[in-house]
Amino acid sequence: MKTSRAWLQNYFNKELPSTEVLAKALTFHTAEIEETTEDLLEVNVLPDRAAYMLSHRGVATEISATLGIPLKQDPLREALPQYEVSKRLTVTRDAEGKCSRYIGALITGVSVGPSPEWLRVALESVGQRSINNVVDATNFVMLNLGQPLHAFDAHKLTEREGQYAVGVRPAEQAERITTLSGETYDLEEGTLLIADMHADGAPLGIAGIKGGDRATVSETTTDIILESAHFDGVSVRKTAQSLKLFTDASSRFQNKPSVALPAYGMRDIIALIQEVAGGVLEGVVDSHEELLPPDPVVVTLDQINGVLGSTYSAQDVSGAFDSLGFSYTLAEETFSVLPPFERKDINIPEDLVEEAGRILGYEHIESVMLPVQSIAPDQAKFRGIEAIKDFLVARGFTEISTPAFAKEGEIELQNPLQEDRPFMRASLLPALEDALGRAVHVAPRVLGHSRYIKLFEVGTVFTKHGESLLLSMGVVDTSGKLAAEALKENVATLEQELLRIPASAHFNLTGTIMELNLGKLNLEKLGAEYAPVSVRLSAYRPFSSYPFALRDVAVWTPEGTKETEVAMCIQEAAGEFLVRTDLFDRFEKEGRVSYAFRLVFESLERTLSDTDLDPAMERITEALNQKEGWEVR
Amino acid sequence: MPVFYMRSPVYYEAMPPGRLHPISVALRDIASIFGRMGFSVAYGPELEEEHYNFNVLNIPADHPARDMQDTFWTKESPRRVPRTQTSPVQVRYMEEKIAEGIQPPYRIVVPGKVFRNEATDATHEAQFYQNEGLVVGKDITLAHLKGTLEQFFKEYLSEGAQVRFRPSFFPFTEPSVEVDVWFEAPGKEGRWLEVMGAGMVHPSVLSNAGIDPKEYQGFAFGGGIERLVMVKYGVDDIRGFHGGDIRFVYGFDETTA
Repeated sequence: MKTSRAWLQNYFNKELPSTEVLAKALTFHTAEIEETTEDLLEVNVLPDRAAYMLSHRGVATEISATLGIPLKQDPLREALPQYEVSKRLTVTRDAEGKCSRYIGALITGVSVGPSPEWLRVALESVGQRSINNVVDATNFVMLNLGQPLHAFDAHKLTEREGQYAVGVRPAEQAERITTLSGETYDLEEGTLLIADMHADGAPLGIAGIKGGDRATVSETTTDIILESAHFDGVSVRKTAQSLKLFTDASSRFQNKPSVALPAYGMRDIIALIQEVAGGVLEGVVDSHEELLPPDPVVVTLDQINGVLGSTYSAQDVSGAFDSLGFSYTLAEETFSVLPPFERKDINIPEDLVEEAGRILGYEHIESVMLPVQSIAPDQAKFRGIEAIKDFLVARGFTEISTPAFAKEGEIELQNPLQEDRPFMRASLLPALEDALGRAVHVAPRVLGHSRYIKLFEVGTVFTKHGESLLLSMGVVDTSGKLAAEALKENVATLEQELLRIPASAHFNLTGTIMELNLGKLNLEKLGAEYAPVSVRLSAYRPFSSYPFALRDVAVWTPEGTKETEVAMCIQEAAGEFLVRTDLFDRFEKEGRVSYAFRLVFESLERTLSDTDLDPAMERITEALNQKEGWEVR
Repeated sequence: MPVFYMRSPVYYEAMPPGRLHPISVALRDIASIFGRMGFSVAYGPELEEEHYNFNVLNIPADHPARDMQDTFWTKESPRRVPRTQTSPVQVRYMEEKIAEGIQPPYRIVVPGKVFRNEATDATHEAQFYQNEGLVVGKDITLAHLKGTLEQFFKEYLSEGAQVRFRPSFFPFTEPSVEVDVWFEAPGKEGRWLEVMGAGMVHPSVLSNAGIDPKEYQGFAFGGGIERLVMVKYGVDDIRGFHGGDIRFVYGFDETTA
């Protein structure tokens, strides 16, 4: 909800503090603020408060409560005028009762034209476009009070015996409507419409969402029919979703504002239209279901302190409720609160606990430790899973995590994120195979001169028969054909030494990857006595998205020369691109030791070329040869 | 400056140990810190019934609260959801305990994978891990929530960690709060980070699970695990976690205590 500080100022005599101060107050007592500028506060109104807070008036009441600045006026607390009942307008609501209130009004003799400066500025300050004085007035009152409104050009409706008839009705099969902005929509049967009942129910608008093009207010309009209504939130939400048409009106109706609100909206729009466009009010007609006063909600001081863990007094809580403008009675530390009609979020005692807690401030809640518990926690299953991971890591396997969405599977998503991965995975193997393939390419950079690349994953798969927790393992032999043998041996060790039962592993055809169902094992038993290895991680070093380059260097050194001496010498001479030095060969001959290193070069910014690598290798060769008795081979 | 990391002088025939994924490391830290505060570890299905993912958590069909999470749906009938939160396990766990005749107190954490149908970027992934917490007992308060989380963050992030609450809304807690933690990364200025949502368990969630809300009350919390790992170790892109790329796993040095 975009709110303007200048607009909010209308609610207060005292000058409001900066948007920064307002934002801070709202953040810690009401709602998150997404953005602030010098005049603008973008309040993230969540569904519970949306019935009253998608409006400047709602935000003003919160500012008043949280900063203790009294409201100059509150339009929802001022009495409603009694209007003449219209003789020229009738309204009918739908038989199903999805429209629980429809107030119509006829104003004649308006002159449609540009809005006055203040109105245009106000709308533009919250990112709205000025259209004309009548449309702008309806938008202003909506943004001010939260009540969506609509104006129809009366002459575009059919008059019969001096009367217009506006009705709310469900759409029939295969009906369409073109909205005032020109898009045409095919309507599902039952979609709630506003209709001209004297023109065979011709649609005038999609109820609670958007007006149609049939009775749009234009420069030539002189008489207008105003609508201030209440439509069922679920129905509006369904329609908005099926038409993918989300409007300021639909976002308000779907949050179920009070049925009392339309009367206040109508009062303010009648006054504002007459102010900015002139005209004479012919009359108003109000059709509604029975309006029930809100039920009182009762909460005790003990309940409030018992939930918050606080030590507030009845006086503290009274102060919070007063600042919110609640009417309540207090007897023996029991508050009986009559929620204001627009506060649809207050229904149970816990709602009042929240009101007290947030207004008095969560910063006053102390940290208290939970009492010591006599029952020992049960983490056996978790520890059983971790026991398997530790067993594999100790045997050279590296854990990976891969996406749960897959190209193939048994359970398909209706709305996948990626079109080419519409299934929930039914196996861990395709992703493992893919990961192994990529690991081969980066192995010299990541693993150094390791012959085997061994990966595993513990993850859930989804089949028609249910979901299961699987373990996958895979091996690549980078310099031979022993991958299948190595995997077989590792699986056998796992079964014999840890699981102690054959785990019915499924291997692929080449025997280099396999998966087994951990759900078939007694993980609780496995973890009952096991404490997972405690691992510390260093800060993360991002890897380069550019390819690395490899160079080998071998050097003769005098007997007794240590590997680290050679490595240090290489590293000092190499320059900025050397990221890894791995010894891959060492032998002694005739009183000399030969060390062979594989060097990995990489840049975080670009792909390295020979013009980077050759000078580095020259420097390394020179540095090594300079040492007494060393000789690059 | 390039970083050199030398392996001990082993030859290729020898087998160096592999690595744990950083999420596993985080899960162990979480389980161990909460374990010392008496929390069990509980699990639930990743592909969840609409009933548990939404309805029992006070999120009926066609309620605007459903828009708070972008949801994947299966083509099954009845359709299911890759769970959007670990919270359904709250109700599953309580139901199970009640069926076994075990009344509260309960203390569980539920670390697990969740799914959101939203565009991915450096801070958003369509799948990530969440850690859920649930405590139910006779006199559990919001002050206990603050104490529990403060203890967790002091142990997990740093001794100087502090917790603050801001008002929020979740259909299954009342009151609901956003949890910020004060974290001073080594060599950096301290800052408040939004790390989880929490609150006092809504009475209708307790009754949905068969627990009398007049007798018991409790708190619940839930937050992303990748985010904690990112903050703690300085990872700047969430997309590395579940891409199956070993370069990510090896971006951390591991030492065992």
